[in-house]
Amino acid sequence: MKQVLCGKDELAPGEIRKAQVGPIPVVVIRARDGNLYALTAKCLHEGGPLEAGKLYEYMTPADEVGEYVPDKTCEVLKCPWHGYEYDIRTGCVIADPTRRLQQFSVREEGDDIVVELTPPKPEPAVAASV
Amino acid sequence: MTDAAVRNPVLQTPERKFHIIDTDVHERADLEALLPYLDPMWHKYITDFGWTPDRVLPFAQYAVGGLDRADSKLPDGRPAGCDYGLLRRQLLDEYDMDYAILTGWLDASALNGGWPEFKTGLMTAYNDWLIDQWLDKDERLMGSIHVNCHDPIGAAREIDRLGSHPKMAQVILYIGDKAWGDPFYHPIFEAAVRNNLPVGMHHSENSPTALGFHRYYIEWHTLVPQVFMSELVSLMFNGVFDKFPTLKVIMIEGGFTWVPHLMSRADQQYKQLRSEVPWVKRMPSQIIRDQVRFCTQPTEEMTLQRFMQIVEWMESDELLLFSTDYPHWDFDSPYEALPIGIPVELKRKIFAENAASTYTRLPALVG
Repeated sequence: MKQVLCGKDELAPGEIRKAQVGPIPVVVIRARDGNLYALTAKCLHEGGPLEAGKLYEYMTPADEVGEYVPDKTCEVLKCPWHGYEYDIRTGCVIADPTRRLQQFSVREEGDDIVVELTPPKPEPAVAASV
Repeated sequence: MTDAAVRNPVLQTPERKFHIIDTDVHERADLEALLPYLDPMWHKYITDFGWTPDRVLPFAQYAVGGLDRADSKLPDGRPAGCDYGLLRRQLLDEYDMDYAILTGWLDASALNGGWPEFKTGLMTAYNDWLIDQWLDKDERLMGSIHVNCHDPIGAAREIDRLGSHPKMAQVILYIGDKAWGDPFYHPIFEAAVRNNLPVGMHHSENSPTALGFHRYYIEWHTLVPQVFMSELVSLMFNGVFDKFPTLKVIMIEGGFTWVPHLMSRADQQYKQLRSEVPWVKRMPSQIIRDQVRFCTQPTEEMTLQRFMQIVEWMESDELLLFSTDYPHWDFDSPYEALPIGIPVELKRKIFAENAASTYTRLPALVG
């Protein structure tokens, strides 16, 4: 099952949009680098609506108290309720990468962004973890 | 059948409705909205002197929407909890709730003690605003009488003024840094008992940890239960529950997983040190089972086995009252917050029956 989400110019870098693809609510994310990602739009914790979440930079594990080293190449989707953080490239919970949102295929086709209820290709990068 | 009923197929039967009473829901006012309800003599404190509630917490809430669920903030920029229509849609209708107990926003008891007479008057204004702007709009909404703990006689007067209002379910005190077992505060409990109302105690941004506020928000938020332990110990060992044996106290927004530990430790201290507090006549764990209740939010993810162990260690299935804390960022969903598989009768108690027997002002549940 696939669905046109919107025009490819209607989702700018850093923006998030929800799509209902058949029975599955999907959150589609345009990363800062322009890449598209699609994840289940329901937080694994208590079901918070991830389309109302926000993207932040990934904070790399530090060696010293007070040391903040943001990794701007990795973006994190933070749930609008309790703040669970997900690596948008993999769907993994940052604090517990064994838990993962389902990922879906999303791509530009002509002038549109199309979401499909199939796994993304190629396989996602290795999950970030703390 | 409602959406909520469909989502609870195990609990909802044609013969018996599954009830939900939410024991912690936050409405919100801005100070300007209170002016029409405030005695004119106090207006200048706000309009001319610029008084605003003191906030001790040295952090903002570390969440996408700050204090609020990001999806509950108003499109016009107002904070969540300002709009009845949105609250009705996102909470009362979404979860097919029977009742929601409004626990407020502005509460003088968590503030510092200065200008006590003004703050007592401000609580009167807040309560009248609450009745007018919220309680009269929806039969499912019940309210809390806000008082200023720093003025116990004024607080008792306010409780007596509104104590018979049919939609006021409890007296509420927001926790700052005062231990309310001190006899100075007893007129508040005396007035609550006189009006047959329980007393809710709610966490606030002015509630410290045992060591103040630490360096990081995550430390403070992890340690929220500490201040509830302090209040409960203060009430028990200063004889509040013995002096007022019909008093019920509800601990709101402190969670519950710490309760078995406190019961065990307080019982042990009582066995060893009872003669220091001879006015305490029951084991602390028994006092808690008799007179104290705990709202579930904020829950922690746990297995069913762990949850049932906690209930077993409490030796009572009547202590937990379900709460969401809507519309704040750590909102607990009625469908997702507690483990799957809780026995149906226990779930019915937690979601409604325990609250119904604690908040005696609530109309009877039907069905």
